[in-house]
Amino acid sequence: MASVQAAPRLAVAAPRPWWRGRPGIVVGVVVGMLIAYFGWKNSVPWPGGLTWQSLSHDLDNFQTWLSDRRNVPHPSVFFVVFNGVATFLDDIVGWLTSFFFKLTWVGTAALGTAVVLRFGGRRAALGTAAAFVSFAALGVWEASMRTFALTFASVALSLAIGVPVGIAAGRSDRVQRAITPVLDAMQIIPAFAYLMPIVLLLSVGPGAAVATTLIYSIPPAIRITALGIRSVPTNTVEAAEAFGATKLQTLLKVQLPLARRLVLLAVNQTILFALSMVVIAGLIGGQGLGDVVTNGLYSDPALAILAGFTIVIMAIALDRATEAMAIRTDPAHRHLTAEHKRALRIYTAALTALVGLAIGLGLALHAGSSWSRKTAQDWLLARIQSVLDYVQNPSTFIFHITNPVGDFIVRWGLTPLDNFFVQTPWPAMVFGLALIAFLISGLRPAVTTVAMLAIVGVSNEWTQAMDTLSQVLVATALTLLVGIPLGIWAAESNRVQKTMRPVLDVLQTLPQLVYIIPFIYLMPVSIVPGVIAAVLYASPVVIRLVDAGVREVSPNTVEAAGAFGATRLQVLAKVKVPLARDAIMLGVNQGLIMVLAVVVIGGLVGSGGLGYDVAQGLGRGLFGQGVLASLAILCLGIALDRVTRGRVRRREGIV
Amino acid sequence: MRRASAAGVLLAVVAALVAAGGAGAKARACGTVTINEQAWAGSTANTYVVKNVLEKNLGCKVNITKITEVPVYQAMADGKTDAILEDWGHIPQQKQYVTKQHTVVYAGKNGVTGVIGWYIPTYLMKQHPEFKTWKGLKGEETLFKSPESGSQGMFLGGDPSYQQKDQTLIKALHLNFKFVSVGAEPAQVARWEQLYKQHKPVIFYWYDPQYLNATYQLSQVQLPARFKGCLDDEKQGGPPAKYACAYPTYVLTKFMSKKFATSGSPAVTVIKNFSWSNADQNYVAGLIAGNHMDPDKAAQQWIAKNKAKVNAWLGK
Repeated sequence: MASVQAAPRLAVAAPRPWWRGRPGIVVGVVVGMLIAYFGWKNSVPWPGGLTWQSLSHDLDNFQTWLSDRRNVPHPSVFFVVFNGVATFLDDIVGWLTSFFFKLTWVGTAALGTAVVLRFGGRRAALGTAAAFVSFAALGVWEASMRTFALTFASVALSLAIGVPVGIAAGRSDRVQRAITPVLDAMQIIPAFAYLMPIVLLLSVGPGAAVATTLIYSIPPAIRITALGIRSVPTNTVEAAEAFGATKLQTLLKVQLPLARRLVLLAVNQTILFALSMVVIAGLIGGQGLGDVVTNGLYSDPALAILAGFTIVIMAIALDRATEAMAIRTDPAHRHLTAEHKRALRIYTAALTALVGLAIGLGLALHAGSSWSRKTAQDWLLARIQSVLDYVQNPSTFIFHITNPVGDFIVRWGLTPLDNFFVQTPWPAMVFGLALIAFLISGLRPAVTTVAMLAIVGVSNEWTQAMDTLSQVLVATALTLLVGIPLGIWAAESNRVQKTMRPVLDVLQTLPQLVYIIPFIYLMPVSIVPGVIAAVLYASPVVIRLVDAGVREVSPNTVEAAGAFGATRLQVLAKVKVPLARDAIMLGVNQGLIMVLAVVVIGGLVGSGGLGYDVAQGLGRGLFGQGVLASLAILCLGIALDRVTRGRVRRREGIV
Repeated sequence: MRRASAAGVLLAVVAALVAAGGAGAKARACGTVTINEQAWAGSTANTYVVKNVLEKNLGCKVNITKITEVPVYQAMADGKTDAILEDWGHIPQQKQYVTKQHTVVYAGKNGVTGVIGWYIPTYLMKQHPEFKTWKGLKGEETLFKSPESGSQGMFLGGDPSYQQKDQTLIKALHLNFKFVSVGAEPAQVARWEQLYKQHKPVIFYWYDPQYLNATYQLSQVQLPARFKGCLDDEKQGGPPAKYACAYPTYVLTKFMSKKFATSGSPAVTVIKNFSWSNADQNYVAGLIAGNHMDPDKAAQQWIAKNKAKVNAWLGK
């Protein structure tokens, strides 16, 4: 025991002041806000004088005005441009879709598998083939191909825009600094918020869906490419320049080849980001699996769940295939002899012939664009449905557990917190939140917080925004409660990390709406399903960031602490976790942003708040309401991001 | 070795061409028709019956889009969808797109009459006969308490994308209800179904024709036709006497995009002629949503039993 006593004093990392001292002040501020809440509950709502009352109506009129200008035989240049973009995007997706359909399912499966087999190797090809077979077997072939076409178009365009911009940002600090805030905004705003403006400009359909996806999937393409270019050692670049290489030559012959691994990672990440938008895109006419999920929610929840898992299959197959192709085609690892090259050429020819044969076979057998034979879909749907029916039946014992739990969370957790946020006098709320922002992150984030809250109030969304904020905070707290311990556990044990990986993969790629469906039946109290879905969706990221952060703590430090006789638990608590603090804070930040996105989508299934306003705005064409709620979501996102990221960003000086 | 690869490619191309020639021979007179299906089961029933009639009798290729009630008007104006078969009276949109812009045209009634209102389970109505009208609810709202509603009663709102004005009504009638929306229709159904199965009190936004109305006994709470607090949220304006509280009865209608209506496609006439009864629609919707039957199969089953009606649409 003696050594145990001695160890903490000798711990390497001195606790930073804000970690210890400031929580006390933060608690003090919260107590002050509570006093304001109990003293002046409901008596000081956001004043009408500080609200732009007619804004929503003005926006509605603006939309009607635009629509009248737009739907005429000869619209102005402005609309010609947007209509042109929309038609162009529609056409790309339409062309790709009909291409896949023309190949028939036999041909498409053969083509996909052959490409992966040629460039990615046997294992990845097996996975691809399995994915294609499962699309057919699940009876969602046609929808899958539509989604694939949409994703393919989005990824191609994201890379066409993202890689050049990324190269520019990688080569120039000024460009990097100029685009960083834009990229931040693109990633923080939940997609739900920009659906309204996109529908106004691009109407509905696959084109609008591609545009929505692009906003979300371009930033990772730019960021990772820029990082790749920057990671090329300076002396290599200088050496090339010393030998008289032009800027273009340096880029093409030195920087890009050396950044190859990261550029390919950008491709991989862009695909996954694009796929994660499929369901949202389904809300504005992006056909395919996303459409099946959003509409299945109405007509057939079991089918929606099935389609959700099909998206997971597609994401995992694409991830593994692109990863394998990136590794296999790496010129650093393969030195092809002439002999080898010739063999490869024959291989290619044989594969091409096989694909051709498969297409011919498909057409000859009238396999058609869809898998029309008997599938496992009916059987699976019946199984999923019986599970849903079971949890929905109020006489089962599960219901007697889940129902009180849901009631309890609402009655004692969400409702009081919601009341606190909505009913506390607004000056106390603004002042309190700004003070907390200041204590956590400093002056600039605090000013941002005040500005964002002011915009929310002026646009008449105060109540809704506070409602959403309370749900976001509850869900984030739960996410951290789950994510940080699991992340630390994963960092401490390779076995845990390995077992968790597939689970996290599925949780991260499963569309957010699909999480919510079972909980609608399990705990049909309006807000709970959204919160639980948010926790499930955001936890994997927190777990991964915490895991990576704790693992990255320098082994020397850990060994030193061990040499001083610290137990494993002490090393963890006193050394590893404090040193991994930045990674953990980044986890908090990412968790918050993801939770916000889900809670907002939860508006579709009863989370209320801003999400409901956007959902209703979209569904009922209430343009003003939808846009203002979207604006408020944007403001919340920016404020939450600044407050939680300020410190990390300042210290690292990047991202 | 090169030759081997060239031969392989040639073989593939020939195989593909031969097969394509065989498949592409069928000619089609009608072309492609895009119909918009809406979220509720009744709309699925309309859409798939018309789809099957167009495909089987006119050889059309029918695409289905799924755009919500209001944005679909813009989609029709853009020619992205050709027709909707069940519209629940969107007056501002009709004014804007049909009367003013002439980008969308009226295509007649679909024969179904729609009712929207406040519903409670019939067992509750038997216990509380005073709930027949909204006045009976006054003072008894707390009967409908739920975890979300605090000290008030819970009014379970409808799907956010549906035609509704319940928040306005609750305020106008000074009822002590908290409007709670659980979101999309299935979530709302899940909620009241569970309360129904436990014979608990619940009051909610609901409508007819709806296939679930055959399974559950529901009764409507009568709302005042006119009431001074009710601002008509359909923005028709006019003197307060005209302010309607209760939802009107909706004669459901069809609309087509102008482009499609003037295209001369034989499908235009069929869509204009399409009309059926509440019972017809409930039958098909029940098969699809209640029995989880494939919509195409459900439509074909109804078509097989109703040759006369289908022939009337076809002008035979």
